[in-house]
Amino acid sequence: MSMLAVARLEWRRLRVRPLAWVLAALTLAWLGWNFTVLLGSFLAGQIQRAALPDGPGFTDLVAVPLLGQLAQLAFLVVPLLTMSVIAGDRRNGTLPLLFAAGVPASRIVLGKYLALLGWLTLWLALTLAMPLALAHATDLDGGKLAAAALGLALMLAALAALGLACSSFSSHPAIAAAAALILGLALWSVNLGAQMAGIDGGAINWLAMSAHVQPLLRGLVSSADLLWFALLIGLSLALATRHLSTERERG
Amino acid sequence: MTTIIPADPPLALQLDHVARRRAGRVAVRDLSLSLLRGQVLGLLGVNGAGKSTTLSMIAGALRPDTGAIKLNGEDFLERPELARTGIGWLPERAPLWPELNVIEHLDAHARLRGLRGAALHAARNAIVERLELQPLARRLAGVLSQGQRQRLGLACALVHRPTLLVLDEPANALDPVQMAALRSLIREQAAAGTAVILSTHVLSEVTAVCDRVAILHEGALQHEGMVEAGDHAALERRFFEIAMTPRPAQAA
Repeated sequence: MSMLAVARLEWRRLRVRPLAWVLAALTLAWLGWNFTVLLGSFLAGQIQRAALPDGPGFTDLVAVPLLGQLAQLAFLVVPLLTMSVIAGDRRNGTLPLLFAAGVPASRIVLGKYLALLGWLTLWLALTLAMPLALAHATDLDGGKLAAAALGLALMLAALAALGLACSSFSSHPAIAAAAALILGLALWSVNLGAQMAGIDGGAINWLAMSAHVQPLLRGLVSSADLLWFALLIGLSLALATRHLSTERERG
Repeated sequence: MTTIIPADPPLALQLDHVARRRAGRVAVRDLSLSLLRGQVLGLLGVNGAGKSTTLSMIAGALRPDTGAIKLNGEDFLERPELARTGIGWLPERAPLWPELNVIEHLDAHARLRGLRGAALHAARNAIVERLELQPLARRLAGVLSQGQRQRLGLACALVHRPTLLVLDEPANALDPVQMAALRSLIREQAAAGTAVILSTHVLSEVTAVCDRVAILHEGALQHEGMVEAGDHAALERRFFEIAMTPRPAQAA
């Protein structure tokens, strides 16, 4: 129950924080404009594609690229959203209030993570609503879109966990945001050198987030990719929990 | 004829040989204290004497390195959930979430302390009425004056009706009228059976409202006793004796 109380408190704080609204409004406006551009280009090329038997459809040319745009925005939006979650509490002096309320560190972390997931789910759902609004008029590939949405959801969840861990280690929200941004980008492109050298396998490629998101965006769901996200989320949340527990012990 | 001797009120708080290091130095050393329900204990000491560390440990925000803290006879270091329902804490400078309003603060604190539904609403409305927070109800904490923040912090500490109230310099930033109201509230809580422990720099605060006094110096308990009416001069003398006397290690 204490975890839900923390989640509710954090959700309320997210809802009234101007930054969350500004981020939501700006990014959704940007995505809406991109959706219109993608849709226009899709409609313009419809006659040429009609000649191809297995040509790309609405999902490949509009819905998935739109989610790709969301993925790019997430690298900036998620750190901005997560930066104050614990570091802000530390600065306000409100973190000891949660400790004094007998809430274990794991529940503080999970409660705050749940609230973040709520906001990110809403963000993803509003983006998905754009292509879904045209589902009745287009040949939407539901399976492929579901896989891509799962990939995006996992990516957002992983970035949120990473941001939360950075916030738990920092006293300044700005430092937490910068650390989460750099770590997220590094994790995405850690295999860039290997890719340029034509190496497709190995540990360096396994480590890269892009290697696990891109198959999902193409509609390929594999348990290895799901496991990678579960490991990253679990590790980040465990680190945040451990750091909070230590802080409680040391004061 | 049989004489019925009234039993002492039950023990609300007991500290046994509590010690704590902070930032590489001993903040509290071998501290043993006890407090009965309905009693008000004043904790005095100069800056850095260990008052806030002691209160943070009693409130459950900080774990002692050694020793035991018992709330209503039960060790709450082993059962941290006891602190959740049994203790109300007002830390120094009343930390608040600036983006939440007064009502949201009280609801959040009540929920964190285990209240739900109708019980939560009743408790919140009662404390809003008692501390006359109605005019501030929808105001964001970030725009409250220091005195208003202190009142809100006090309301948050009391919303779940704790059996032990821990107040760290509660009179900070309060005007004389608000200080008188605070004294009256502390007495009212004690009369209802709540044990109250408050730290302060103001000696007159102790003689006005406390039943007992403890003086900490360099992390150690130097004096503990009852507060007698009109005892202000004696208490002041004792306080300065302790505060001005360097400990042997310091003198060397």
